[in-house]
Amino acid sequence: MKRAHISRRGFVQLAGAAGVVPLGLASAQALTAEAAIGRIQAELGGEWPPAGPDGFKAGSPSTVVKGIATTAMATLNVLKQAVQANANLVLTYEPTFYSRADGRTPESTPGRGPGGVDAADPVLKAKRQFIETNGLVVFRLRDHWQARKENDMVTGLAGALGWSTRRMKTGDALYEIPPASAEATIGSIRSKLNLRGGLRVVGDRHATIRRVLLFPGSMAPATMWQRYSEVDLIVAGEVREWENTHYAADMFTAGEKRVLVTTGRIVSEEPGMRACAEWVKTVVKEVPAKWIGVGDPYWRPA
Amino acid sequence: MTASEVVELIRKNQGIPWNDRSTRDTFKVGNPDSTVKGIATTMMTTFDMLKRAHAAGLNMVITHEDTFWNDRDDTRELTENPLYKLKTEYVLKNDMVVWRDHDHMHAMTPDYTVLGELRSTGIKGIERVTMRPGILTIPETTLGELAAQVKRSSGARALRCVGDPKAKVSKILVGPGYATPRMTPEVDVVIGGEQQESDGGFDNVEYVMDAVSLGMPKGVIMLGHVISEQAGMEDFGNWLRTFIHDVPIQFVPAEEPYW
Repeated sequence: MKRAHISRRGFVQLAGAAGVVPLGLASAQALTAEAAIGRIQAELGGEWPPAGPDGFKAGSPSTVVKGIATTAMATLNVLKQAVQANANLVLTYEPTFYSRADGRTPESTPGRGPGGVDAADPVLKAKRQFIETNGLVVFRLRDHWQARKENDMVTGLAGALGWSTRRMKTGDALYEIPPASAEATIGSIRSKLNLRGGLRVVGDRHATIRRVLLFPGSMAPATMWQRYSEVDLIVAGEVREWENTHYAADMFTAGEKRVLVTTGRIVSEEPGMRACAEWVKTVVKEVPAKWIGVGDPYWRPA
Repeated sequence: MTASEVVELIRKNQGIPWNDRSTRDTFKVGNPDSTVKGIATTMMTTFDMLKRAHAAGLNMVITHEDTFWNDRDDTRELTENPLYKLKTEYVLKNDMVVWRDHDHMHAMTPDYTVLGELRSTGIKGIERVTMRPGILTIPETTLGELAAQVKRSSGARALRCVGDPKAKVSKILVGPGYATPRMTPEVDVVIGGEQQESDGGFDNVEYVMDAVSLGMPKGVIMLGHVISEQAGMEDFGNWLRTFIHDVPIQFVPAEEPYW
């Protein structure tokens, strides 16, 4: 099996280099989205329940894959760039259809209005139409990518911040960086991430920053309560203002010299999905894989 | 008058059936039988706010948001937390008492948080001020101009926007705190306090980004949670004065937390 697989791939590479792919053979080699995803799932392991967030969100799994794009969020703009890059399988960390329900039957969310989106919504319809017209397949890859023991959501963010060699121990998101003032450290974070108006800071601006906890995505209160006192700075994607922001403000009032920075959820997840593209290349070798950035959704008025 | 008696008066005057199962609208710390010397109304019981209330001689705090950094004010995981001990000891040492009015405030007409939000953002023209006040039509402007006006008027330092600043807009939907309204085809701009950026019940951010890609004039203005509900607690204090006359009542703001 293995030998046959290698020789087939070798032949496709040769044929591709010559610019000629014999019709019958090409279809025999064709990698479907289902097969590519199957390989990714096997590599990541674990259970993939149909009710979980990870899974196919749009397009046909039998589509032949020409290229793979990874992204923090499959916005329409990202999908357009994927089409231009000839990538028709899109792996997205966040939902595609504007809610955790992500295109499934909306769930009721008490007190927050109905969950999900009406199938007749013009934005939703236009996005579905774009996906169909361009033969795209969208797969959400969140839980299993995040749960991988290497956790490239964290190492990717550390890399983007220039702190890759500063990790204190494997398996944890603690970093020890050269000491600098909070203002200088935040200036550095601003310059290294793809930010516009999303970054917000709470805490002591005169603190000296040495020990940092990275938490891409959304950070719950329990993490804040357990870990804020260990570090000078937490860099998170987002927190709830009346929970963790409140805690950081109270710590400041109590005289603690610490800082909480939120970059925005998407901005914090971009480097990890950039790393995902590099990983995908090692798992699916027949087609190119690339990362497509979303950018900071937020801006500030004059 | 005791803190419990103040709460009884509020229940009676709020005029809506009381939900005893609310995990939010309860005493959070301090003795409900304490004699009230003065009442501070506030958006959120920050430690800083507690100190200013105490300095002003106000020992009962009526707060819209939480005291112990989680929505339910569940303190089971906090008993050994040094900040929890510090804050709790401060309240007890100074004979203060904290009670929260959140769910019932939002059920009132007017919803004072929305009334205050409208005043602080300078948005006029809504007659029936409830938690979900319906679409308001304003004279056409651009999203950028509207956002700049809202920022000036509210004084929010960390106000954030999504959408095309040049988009022409006139249909506005306003909501308080985390109850940022969901964008719909009929609405141009949603104004709220805060909202999970993605993966929630409805994700305004991605929806508006896609609407912009399609050339639709849509935007979101996020004031920050504290800013959006802050002014309403001043109105709530004014309302308390209509039936509580024996003790001073003062609005003590929770400062916007961001640099």
